[in-house]
Amino acid sequence: MPRNYVKPVVGWTCTYLPLEILEAGEIQPLRIIPSPSSEKADAYLDPNYCPYIKSVLGEALQKRYSSISGIVLINTCDGMRRLYDALRFYSPPSFCYLLDVPRVEGPIATSYFKERLKEFKEDVGSHFQIEIDSSKIRKAIQEANITRGLLRKASSFMSKANLLKLMAQGWETPRNSFNRKLEEIVKNQEKNHPPRNGPRVLLSGSLIEGSYIAELVEELEGEVIFADLCIGDRIGDAIPLDCEDPLDALSRAYLSKPPCARMWNLEKRIDYIRALIKREGAQGLIYQQMKFCDPYLYEAPALKAELDNMAIPFLPLELEYSGKAGGRTRTRVQAFLEMLDVP
Amino acid sequence: MFPEYLIKKLVHMPVTYPISGLIFDVLQRKESKAFKQWVHFLLKTYRDAYHGKRPVIWINAFTPSELVYGLGGIPALPEIISALVAYMGISGRFISNANTYLSTDTCSFYRCVLGLVIEDYLPRPDLIISSSHLCDGANKFFRYLAQFLGCPHLFIDPPYWSDERGKRYLISQIKEVIKRASSIIDIPFSKERMGKAIKLSIEARAYIGKINKLRQAVPAPFSARDGLSYFTGMNIHSLGSKEGLLFHKTLYEEIKQKVENKEGYLPRERCRLLWLHHIRPYYKNEIFDIFDRKGAAVPFDEMSYLYWGDLDPDRSIESLAEKILSNIWAGPLERRTDAILKMVKDYDIDGVIHFSHWGCRQSCGGAGVIGDLLKDRDIPYIVLPGDGGDPQNYSPGQTRTRLEAFLEMLI
Repeated sequence: MPRNYVKPVVGWTCTYLPLEILEAGEIQPLRIIPSPSSEKADAYLDPNYCPYIKSVLGEALQKRYSSISGIVLINTCDGMRRLYDALRFYSPPSFCYLLDVPRVEGPIATSYFKERLKEFKEDVGSHFQIEIDSSKIRKAIQEANITRGLLRKASSFMSKANLLKLMAQGWETPRNSFNRKLEEIVKNQEKNHPPRNGPRVLLSGSLIEGSYIAELVEELEGEVIFADLCIGDRIGDAIPLDCEDPLDALSRAYLSKPPCARMWNLEKRIDYIRALIKREGAQGLIYQQMKFCDPYLYEAPALKAELDNMAIPFLPLELEYSGKAGGRTRTRVQAFLEMLDVP
Repeated sequence: MFPEYLIKKLVHMPVTYPISGLIFDVLQRKESKAFKQWVHFLLKTYRDAYHGKRPVIWINAFTPSELVYGLGGIPALPEIISALVAYMGISGRFISNANTYLSTDTCSFYRCVLGLVIEDYLPRPDLIISSSHLCDGANKFFRYLAQFLGCPHLFIDPPYWSDERGKRYLISQIKEVIKRASSIIDIPFSKERMGKAIKLSIEARAYIGKINKLRQAVPAPFSARDGLSYFTGMNIHSLGSKEGLLFHKTLYEEIKQKVENKEGYLPRERCRLLWLHHIRPYYKNEIFDIFDRKGAAVPFDEMSYLYWGDLDPDRSIESLAEKILSNIWAGPLERRTDAILKMVKDYDIDGVIHFSHWGCRQSCGGAGVIGDLLKDRDIPYIVLPGDGGDPQNYSPGQTRTRLEAFLEMLI
């Protein structure tokens, strides 16, 4: 957990949180990516629970978040909702907030989400004694759009393992500093991995600790051509500021961004992945499922059926939140890449 | 005994159900009247569903059945069918088939449904309506089913917070669902029909309240074993129908009679337990037999808890939204813990059992906090890991050891 921030720091866990609102209030958002440490939380959450959630709770119980001023969660999934309960009961931060984000798109949901964002903005402002006005949010969106654009460019020439590592730095770096770093990287356009002729795979699925699956694929001479992960390429496009109230822009953009499996519209997720496969020329898809991550576990059969139709091989990996690939995972990925490599 | 194709054919024939009803009446003469009414309600529902008299609308548990009756459809609840299939001792085969599609870490009730769908054992839906307030499984699984079956799916996304903003959001969605559902099933929306369903639900709800009050009696007149089967089954499937009202009235009268006669369901009651979770294992198991043997009554279960207030036939849609929003298993855990503490007090509970169904994140995720809250109040508490639908995940030895140790502490 990095320290020495000048601004108040608020931890967050899900990319459906518009960080722009926090940044507009001069608050430093810090993505909580805990070290694998679920043992501490085993006594508090069931054995059949998402190890990421357990690790977050484990770190909270060990007071690793004592230096931050609050935590904002989203009703991402059952796990996050129960994490919100457990945090408040066992280790309450001074500011513990759950932002309600719809699972659907459309005008009804967008209008509701905008109302919740307004409420969130006011609650943050009131707790931290700051004023967050539209012009500040607008400016924060512009800054975040710069990050999105630069990450897109960086993603076009960086290896995905390195991109994931770079993004992990971004989760804990002030926006301006990170944008400067990205500008530098993009300017130099250093292709930091040698060209590969190995199988091209799309990596999709739930959040896991670190970049080890991408690293493993690259080590085995394959290439991850797109990391459809919330810690990777699922960045979304620049948010258009074409409306008077920037909360309208945020509400619309966050609900319609490339979807996580938490969203209801299965077909949109599948269409999106199908389009990615075609655009990027993927030969196979590695689907990383965090153990007990229901949104991705329930999505898997529909996705597999679609990939079967497209004759795209599918490798589902049920993973622990361990930060490293075990022998079995390594063997399976290796066999998968070898299968794809057959001319 | 019968070839597979014949069984499937019989399942799909409407005439099978009234004949089964007659056979049931002859073989199960000793069963209570309410129990028989439940069986006949299911048989009639599925006779009508296979007959195609009215559109079949699949809903998940906690999507109000009043909505379907009000739309003019026949509600079918796949989760209840899973429980019945488990009770008949044949869930293993369907779950096993579904395991090639869904991870074994997902809910076995959903996997059983998928197995039944794959083998074409369920009445084909004209429409699926599901809501997401209880769990992620309901959100994603019913969408997958709709895709698998190629049928329309409407989704209700209840908000996390049940304030006025949330209520407005939910009301807008229900209005939209009604509009689109009426068009899909080709039955024009009738305010009178919806109002009638709501009125029937209100009357049935009054009996549920009275039943729950009677269940506070010592000795316990009605076991959670039954509470977690036909009573709560009817609470989520039949509200809005005449049969539902009749069932709840009959059950009330039966329990009232027992209470007046001071007749407990156990010969001697030595302690009182509260069962937490919406379900219990439905396949053959000895959990409730252990309780019975030891004289541990289970007078109540949290699924029986009457969480919603009176509906209003003149404000049907708002009432349905309020019912969904008052669900104690949605939103922050305090809703559930407050209700549990009330149940402990109202039912004079000596110990609490949290059944942790494998694959159920939303309920089991709260088991730690609930346990600590109860322990703070010196109320003995135990988490019982298990599986409601899959007998493969039942460990008789471990379960017996755990329960007997808990009961020894209490008695």
